Amino acid sequence: MKKILTLLVSVLCTISVFGQSRMDYSPVNTVTQVGDTLVVKYQYFIGDKNEARLYQFDIQHNNKLLDVISNDWQTTSTSAQKAVNTWNGYKFTIDGTKDQTDFDGQYLSWLAGNASYGANADWSVQRVTYQDVTSLSDGDEIMKVSYKIKDKSNTNYTDYTNLINVNWANYQEVDGTQIDVTGQSNLGLTGIQGGDAGNVSISVSSNVITNNIGDGSDFSYTIYNKGENTNPITSGNFDAAGDATIQGLENDVEYDLYVSIDNSKTYLDNAVTVSDLALVFAEAIGAGDGPNGISTTFDYYIQSILANVVGTSIPNGGDVNFQDSYEILAYLQGVTTGNTPFISKTGEVYNVSGIKSTFGDEVNGIATVSATFKPTDNDKSFQFAHAIAGDVNFSHGFEPTSTNASIPNAAQSATTARSMMARGEKFQPETANIDLVSEIVDGNVIFSINSDIAEMVGSQFNIEYDRTRLVLDNVIFDTGNTMTNFSNHIENEGKVRIGSFDQNFEATVKTGTPYKLIFIPTVQLNNTAGLITFKVKEGVKADGTQINFIMN
Amino acid sequence: MKKLLVLLSLIFVVGCQPDEILSPIDLNQTEVPNSLQIDAISGLKLESNIVSDEVRMNVKLPYSGTYRIKIRDISKELISQEKITANEGDNLLKVYVSSLAKDGYTIELTNDIHEVLGLTTLIVN
Repeated sequence: MKKILTLLVSVLCTISVFGQSRMDYSPVNTVTQVGDTLVVKYQYFIGDKNEARLYQFDIQHNNKLLDVISNDWQTTSTSAQKAVNTWNGYKFTIDGTKDQTDFDGQYLSWLAGNASYGANADWSVQRVTYQDVTSLSDGDEIMKVSYKIKDKSNTNYTDYTNLINVNWANYQEVDGTQIDVTGQSNLGLTGIQGGDAGNVSISVSSNVITNNIGDGSDFSYTIYNKGENTNPITSGNFDAAGDATIQGLENDVEYDLYVSIDNSKTYLDNAVTVSDLALVFAEAIGAGDGPNGISTTFDYYIQSILANVVGTSIPNGGDVNFQDSYEILAYLQGVTTGNTPFISKTGEVYNVSGIKSTFGDEVNGIATVSATFKPTDNDKSFQFAHAIAGDVNFSHGFEPTSTNASIPNAAQSATTARSMMARGEKFQPETANIDLVSEIVDGNVIFSINSDIAEMVGSQFNIEYDRTRLVLDNVIFDTGNTMTNFSNHIENEGKVRIGSFDQNFEATVKTGTPYKLIFIPTVQLNNTAGLITFKVKEGVKADGTQINFIMN
Repeated sequence: MKKLLVLLSLIFVVGCQPDEILSPIDLNQTEVPNSLQIDAISGLKLESNIVSDEVRMNVKLPYSGTYRIKIRDISKELISQEKITANEGDNLLKVYVSSLAKDGYTIELTNDIHEVLGLTTLIVN
């Protein structure tokens, strides 16, 4: 019995609803983007009521989200009188004792003062009046209104779900009898894309920042439309923490962002060292075809890009071979070759950057970086990573964190210690004590590097000296008979790069005092405090493990 | 008599051996100015802690011997180190900063087994 009653109530309600005249409004086109034109038709349905002669209704629209372009009458009668009045800055407050969709009831309440218009800068009201000696037919469109969809950024609205309301409707028969009118309460849209993205946050990660070699302000960004690299949309610098806020981008649009490091920074001369050289030599010896081939000694796919300093241009990468390793050795020795290698140093940097979470991810055996990002309503923060060519051990770059960036154990060369490690396991630097000290001996300034470290197949020391007071007279090597020693003296900058490397990974640097620099003072000196400083001091073992020197 | 002769011979031999002579630092100014006076038995003091080229430094040592002067960066990493052999008491030396980046440093005096005897800050500008 209860079910039957419920059914009857439902049927009666349905009959009641379908019995009234209607004021329908609905879009006639599909819109998806900010800036699109939304066309809404306002339509008359007679229901079971008598014909009307007066059709009057108030529409309100959110003027922060919509801008009226045109009001277009759809009727053809030449005898009709038509008017559209507009008031900006008002919003209708309904009579709460009646349904919002009781349009004729809300009209009567408005007349009686039980519903009203209050000031509201976000809304505009249009009153449409159509009157004729003949009735409209059922389903006739009275008017189409075209609206431009506005950007919701810088408004208090987070979506487009409430754009247009019909406040009331005043349909009257030829004798003035009020006609019952109903309709929908609201017209809104979902899935609108585009528009000013507002503040978009970006950040850059690099060991330059993490290890306080420099700071985030050493980095800059340039943004292009996706796929372009000639006409930047915008550019700027990161702050000291490596963060930046960008404005002027649009939601749901893809952009490419490239990070660069200030190539005037002198610490870039310390980026490519004997540790990188050892990694590249090991790869050339042990891997053969490189990470995209049979096997590799690298930990990450992207190292094949950073190590490929000769040949295919960055960032395409390619096979790492002896030409790359000898080019780095030549660079450390200060020897100029006929090549133009991709070795980053002060004044000349080859940047590699991309989205941090996928930085160096492998696709078809090749490392990839993605410059592309897309601001949306729900995602306005993007993290990027940066590395530089030649810096294979990431001393001045970002070491990938993505699982897909690591080379699996199965791809490791069987000829190296690396093959004994599990996937994801990396070479861990070791530490060892060393003594670097200057003193005056027989009127000369002697800088000695004293080491008790065995098993070092390579070492490097970047020394800077006060060239206003000292002249480098000699570099004395006592590293062993089979080591390849290098000494690169950049006299006009007061810099000396010295070191040794055994490219067969067999001979080791002799302990004792393997390196000694002799300087002649050009002024009277009683002591040497501050005259000689050391920037890079590192060694490498035969298995590729980096040795970080520590000093008391 | 024989014992006496041996003893005399020993005295002669020892007497003929050179004294242990430390290489004295040739100071242009032997008197330590008030600005560089150190009350403690040992320590290190700069004439100015803000330096652009060089600055005078008093290194006061508890004993004659070999000591080290170390310069460390903001993370306390050693970036420069010299070894001196000097006499007990005040020793007027210099710190040269032309090859140092404009930054803040600490400067340390240690003995040869790296025990710190004095410490101060150094600003290069």
